[in-house]
Amino acid sequence: MSSISHYLNRFKSSLKIDHTIRDGVAEELHAHLEDRIRELEEKGLSREEASKIAVQSLGSPELIAEQIYETHAQGSWKEAIFSALPHLLVALLFTSYYWQNIVYASIILALTVGIAIYGWHRGKPIWLFPWLGYYLLPVVISGILLLSLPEGWGWIAALIYIPLALFVFIHIVRQTARRDWLYASLMIAPMLVTFTWFSSLGKGNELLASDWAARLQSNALWIVISFVALAAATIAFIRLKQRRYKIISLLIPPLVVLFAVITASGGNIGSWGWLLLLFSLSAFAIPLWMQAKAYE
Amino acid sequence: MNYGRELLKGNTDSLLLCLISRQPTYGYQIVKELEKRSNGYFQFKEGTLYPALHRLERDNLIRGKWQILPNGQQRRYYYITERGQQVLAKKLATWQDFSSAVKSVIQPETT
Repeated sequence: MSSISHYLNRFKSSLKIDHTIRDGVAEELHAHLEDRIRELEEKGLSREEASKIAVQSLGSPELIAEQIYETHAQGSWKEAIFSALPHLLVALLFTSYYWQNIVYASIILALTVGIAIYGWHRGKPIWLFPWLGYYLLPVVISGILLLSLPEGWGWIAALIYIPLALFVFIHIVRQTARRDWLYASLMIAPMLVTFTWFSSLGKGNELLASDWAARLQSNALWIVISFVALAAATIAFIRLKQRRYKIISLLIPPLVVLFAVITASGGNIGSWGWLLLLFSLSAFAIPLWMQAKAYE
Repeated sequence: MNYGRELLKGNTDSLLLCLISRQPTYGYQIVKELEKRSNGYFQFKEGTLYPALHRLERDNLIRGKWQILPNGQQRRYYYITERGQQVLAKKLATWQDFSSAVKSVIQPETT
C-alpha cells in the first residue's frame, strides 16, 4: 500500500462522521498531497521521497480527523432542541394522565413516525436519531407484548414476529452505526428509559402486573424526570464538540433512570423486568463498547 | 507560548477570508499564497488548514465547490459568500483600528 493510501485510510478510519462528508475531505487531502508531490517531483525528488515529505508536511491524520470531527459533529441549538423534543413530548404525556389518552398518544406516535421517516430519507441529519428511537419502540414493544397472549399463541406469534422485529431493529442500528456508533446509542436511549420503566411493572413471573397502569401513574414524577434528563443529555450530546464529552453525556441518562426506577419500585423488579433491563442496557452499551473497540 | 503562532491562530479566519475574497481558491494554493505574500512568515501547518476551511464553510462564510481540471484532477475551490464578505469587512476594520492603536502606543514619541 502506498504511503498516500495508508495516510488516507488512517484519516478515514479516525473520522466518525457522515461518510459522504468524510470521503469529500479525504478527496481534498488527496488532491493536496498530489499537488505537493508534483511540486517536489519537479524539484527532482522521486515519487516515493516526495510522497513521504508530502504526508509529513500535512501532519497527523488523526489530529486532522479530530479537528474536522469537531467542526461537523456539533449541531446547532436548533438541532439540539429538535433532537430533545420527542423526549420532552413523552415527559409531557406523563405530567398528567395524557399517556392514557389514546388521541394524545396516537398524535405523538404519528408525529414521531412521520418525522423519523422524513429524516431517514433526507440524509439522516443529526436530529433524526432520538426520533428514530421512538419510531422503533412500538416495533420492539409489540414483540414483547405478544408474549403475554394466551398460552401457546403468544409463543407462536412471537416466533414469527420477534425475528422480523429484530431484523428491522438490527438493520436500522447497523445503518446508523455505519455513520457513528454513538448515534446508535443516542437512538437506543429512549428504549433504554422505556424498558427500564417497563421492567418495574411486572410482578414475579408476570410481564405486567394487574395494577401496572396505577403503578405507572404513581411513578409519573420519576418518569418525567427520566425523560427530561434524557432530553438534557441529548442537547448536551448535540452541542458538545469533543467525542469523549459526548460519550459522558450519553452515560448520564441510564444512571438517572436506574436510580429513579430502583427508588420508585423499592428494588421490587420481577424476573421479566430484570430480563428487559438487561436487554435494554446491553442494547445501549453495545454501540459504546464497539466505539471503545474502534479506538484500540 | 509562541506569540507569533498565537497571533496567527487568532487571525486565521481573517487571513483565509481575505485570500478567498480575492479569488476562488483551493487548499494547496492557499498555503502557498500565504507563504508567498508573507515572505515566508506565515508557515501554516498544512493539515490544520482544512478544519479551518470547513469551519468557515459551516458558518456559511465560504462555500466549497468541486471542479474538474482539464487533466481530470478534481479540486475543491472555495468561494466567499455575502455573509463572509460582511464578516471580513468587520474583521478588517477591527484589525486596522487595533493595529493603528498598537502602533501609536509602541512607536517612539517624536517631540
